[in-house]
Amino acid sequence: MRNWDDDRLLAALGQALKAREAVPSWFIQTGKSAYAWHDIDAELAQLTYDSDRDQHAVAVLRSETASIRALTFTSAHLSLELEVTGNSLLGQLLPPRAGELEIHTRAGGISTTEVDEIGCFSVDPIPDSPFRLRCRTADGTDVLTGWVTF
Amino acid sequence: MRDDPHVVALVTRASEGNQDAWNELVDRYGTLVYTICTRYRLNNHDIEDVGQNVWLLLVEQLGKLREPAALPGWLATTTARECLRVVTAASKAERLGTRLDDSVLFVDDAVIDEEILVAERNAALRVAFAELPPHCRRLLSMLVSDPPHSYAEIHGKLGIAVGSIGPQRARCLERLRRSDALAALGEGEEKINTRGGEPGA
Repeated sequence: MRNWDDDRLLAALGQALKAREAVPSWFIQTGKSAYAWHDIDAELAQLTYDSDRDQHAVAVLRSETASIRALTFTSAHLSLELEVTGNSLLGQLLPPRAGELEIHTRAGGISTTEVDEIGCFSVDPIPDSPFRLRCRTADGTDVLTGWVTF
Repeated sequence: MRDDPHVVALVTRASEGNQDAWNELVDRYGTLVYTICTRYRLNNHDIEDVGQNVWLLLVEQLGKLREPAALPGWLATTTARECLRVVTAASKAERLGTRLDDSVLFVDDAVIDEEILVAERNAALRVAFAELPPHCRRLLSMLVSDPPHSYAEIHGKLGIAVGSIGPQRARCLERLRRSDALAALGEGEEKINTRGGEPGA
């Protein structure tokens, strides 16, 4: 680019400035806000099962569709199984243990619910925008799921 | 270009908890992420969704990027994957109906590669431009505006004699050309040109 002539360089500059102007400021702001998650010192649990995704082939084979949405998040120390039936979201920790569950929404809201001694919890109401769950158990395990939408 | 030490430093600082470095990364590559979303013809709602996911994924990956300098490629690939996810979900919900055609579902890898190169070049140009003295920024802004300003208008607005505009334009562009930001880009740009010339590349 250093050997480009003036006209070519000016045209490239014009393109670069125009491309930046086309990006809405809310888009950039969203990106900057995402950094708030940087300090979260929890273990990330990966989505290892999603009925929407993984049951597709099975459903086609059986010519039926699953009416229950089920997800599983797995980390080295803990799994979270989630199931939506009707208006409620039920969850189970594996291995079962008691703890506290935080529901984080995109907008930054956090609500909490208890996980009972056999590892069961419910989220009610189900957030209507993407959310993620953070689970802290009595033995110090701290796990954060990816974002989910139902 | 892949070895741009500035980008490597930004990724490192951001992974160590520096919000300013993170903001600069978003400023620098937000355009790349946004442009790819528009390639998939997503609406604003979906663009926001994809943007959120991409940046959140990056926050999580910051310390784990094996090659921080390959960030633009990582961002482009991740954005494309997220866009595809949104488009596929939309198609499943039949919201898109007949609008969903192959050209939307399969944005060519070559298109994405090209976006990465353009994004790198544009980012370097914007950094170089921001470092120019104010009088150069004002003049070059007027020269690249759409529609372009005439020399008479530039004279009227900036008070530069019409006869001096040409020489000043040349001097400002020379400063831009010699900037560190473009120097960092320099080597990679050569590689791109070579690679781009290969058949099937």
